[in-house]
Amino acid sequence: MRGRFVVAAALALAVAAVATGQTPTRWVDRTKADVRAGKASFYEIVDTVLKGEQVTVLKSEERWLSVRTPRGKTGWLFEQTLSANAVTPAASSSFLKGAGSDASTSAVAASTGAKGLYAQQYAKSKGYDYSVVEWIESHQPTESDNEGFARAGGKP
Amino acid sequence: MSRRAVLLLLVVVATIGFEARNVGAQFGIPRIPGIPGLTREREAEQSPMDMFNAFSDMDEPQEVEIGRSVAAAVGARYKILRDEALTKYVALVGNSVAATSDRPDLRYYFAVLDTPEVEALAAPGGFVFVSRGALSTMRDEAMLAGVLGHEVGHVALKHHNATIKAQRTKALAMFGANIGLRFVPGPAGAFTPVMSLVADGIAEGVLKGHSREEEMESDRVGFQYAARAGYDPAGLRDFLSALSARGTGDANVSKFFSTHPGTDDRLKEQTKLLQGFSGSGRREAERFAKAVGTATGR
Repeated sequence: MRGRFVVAAALALAVAAVATGQTPTRWVDRTKADVRAGKASFYEIVDTVLKGEQVTVLKSEERWLSVRTPRGKTGWLFEQTLSANAVTPAASSSFLKGAGSDASTSAVAASTGAKGLYAQQYAKSKGYDYSVVEWIESHQPTESDNEGFARAGGKP
Repeated sequence: MSRRAVLLLLVVVATIGFEARNVGAQFGIPRIPGIPGLTREREAEQSPMDMFNAFSDMDEPQEVEIGRSVAAAVGARYKILRDEALTKYVALVGNSVAATSDRPDLRYYFAVLDTPEVEALAAPGGFVFVSRGALSTMRDEAMLAGVLGHEVGHVALKHHNATIKAQRTKALAMFGANIGLRFVPGPAGAFTPVMSLVADGIAEGVLKGHSREEEMESDRVGFQYAARAGYDPAGLRDFLSALSARGTGDANVSKFFSTHPGTDDRLKEQTKLLQGFSGSGRREAERFAKAVGTATGR
């Protein structure tokens, strides 16, 4: 009897949420997370959200959520990036500041982390050729390459 | 406490702070916030870098930065094959497997090592390497998907975390509690000894290989990733069988056995997994031969 009541109450709440047009809110629970144009990490970054920022969930597919960011951009985030409970924003990160003048405040700049600045310093101190890393990063397949491969049977 | 004792205490604290700053300078360590002599502006410029908190996990931007450092070290040990078409092909297969992994939101980077030695490596932050020698051992895309799935598994399961924590703890002991807990990177691009220690440790670990337990764990998830991506998950078993058939007498294979221990046990485990797998999957032998053939001298 009690179980039935709980189910009925949950259903009523769900119906009410839909009826009033409410959409669930989630909070970013990572230092930063890239909001992408599609449901994989090779898709272009449409926005980057920072820890504690609130996003609106529009729909969910597989393990990804379609979200609207505080800047009004729409894209996909991996479900584990978000928390159902409010998250305290992270303190300003000097690591991200290393990415450039506005990296700690600009979400887009933050998306690239420190852009290899620290790794370049490391490579230099060791006498390693950092251009190999730059070559690797710049010779990965594009979004359309990956989509084409998936269409040709690279993915179920 | 008497006024004299308070004065003496102040002098001691100031002296320790001054000396700590000088010791840091000797090691090339950027200055620490809170140390006497630093203005508020300098503190703002050189604010703490949480990357080197010895007791917490590294976040993703930091992990990627360590990954880049390790990739540079791998590039120094092996030559990177600058073949655009082959690199893209390997990355396409890798991305399709990584998309089904436990960290599908991480951007992965794939590269081919220009060596006849059979080798496959993964660095934190999603940098995955497979050698020309490993590719020449494979017969189809399912085998490549199995090997890349295994390497993606190391990244997805964060197998490098233990080394990262150990290196941070070592840094803590070497450079002192303040630096170990809240290390200061200095202005953009400043060289950081602690980061160097972490990257050194990870690079060494990556080149030496993982433990048996980690290899088995990556095998299990790699099997799943390849299967979810639509490949025949027998690919990894077939690759290990092909290496086993070549034997330890083959100089290009013996290194792989040393960095990837327990091949017999791994084969048994893969066979067991296959017995419990009812689906089927693609092999893509033709596409693989077309993409890989020339580069590996087939």
